[in-house]
Amino acid sequence: MAIQDIGLFQALGAKMDFLNQRQSLIAQNIANADTPGYRPKDLVDVDFSAMLEKKASPRSQGLQQVSVEKTSAGHLGASNNASAKERDQRDTYEVAPAGNAVVIEEQLMDAGRNSMDYNLMVNVYQKQIGLFRIALGTGR
Amino acid sequence: MNGDIVDALMISANGMRAQGTRIRVISENVANAETTGLTPGADPYRRQTISFKNELNREMGVNLVSVNDIGEDDTAPFALEYKPDHPAADEEGYVKMPNVNAMLEMMDIREAQRSYEANLGMIEQSRAMIARTVDLLRS
Repeated sequence: MAIQDIGLFQALGAKMDFLNQRQSLIAQNIANADTPGYRPKDLVDVDFSAMLEKKASPRSQGLQQVSVEKTSAGHLGASNNASAKERDQRDTYEVAPAGNAVVIEEQLMDAGRNSMDYNLMVNVYQKQIGLFRIALGTGR
Repeated sequence: MNGDIVDALMISANGMRAQGTRIRVISENVANAETTGLTPGADPYRRQTISFKNELNREMGVNLVSVNDIGEDDTAPFALEYKPDHPAADEEGYVKMPNVNAMLEMMDIREAQRSYEANLGMIEQSRAMIARTVDLLRS
């Protein structure tokens, strides 16, 4: 059993993947801050808490992959390891006359939050490894 | 998987290059703000404009920003100045001056600078994220 297969680690990895993907999308938004007609994009939120609950329940021994949230009964299940879906940001602060809706301040705020989330994930990861270290008795 | 975040670095670097080209175009405009024609009645330097597009880079599979078109500004008219002894003066002594507006160019260059800085900030942040991940190995 690799360490990635442990429930919490898998969830953390999935969230870090998601944040990585989001970072590249925000970079794209900022790079296109002066492209006519460009609308900023964001990822469709993934329901991580529901995923963690599934993992935490003792009955679900089978490993579950992160999947995109289904908002309608008609949606098909996403394949394993599917990357989160992109969507256009609908409500931006303003739209330039050339049709560009990127507001750099807004994007930088998103980027800051993204980076903070990522740091949080890395810290949780480290703490969890620390717990294992204590359990193994190899010092902390 | 670090692929996405490396993509982020590439996207930001391309954004910086696009803004760099924009700054080059603007400085050409400013440098040529007094460039008149050489023969009587000839047209002077025409202000250049630049626009961007978001395009799929097939090699990397991501959208990168690139320069769409460097065109000439036909909308702003040339100003006429009375300089009868100038080589480009017409029969009445008027010289056509370039349609470069220094204020407009300064505003444009500030905007390009801010966008460049925002891209630079994104690169720094992405790098910090990579560094944090690599630090996991150390603990």
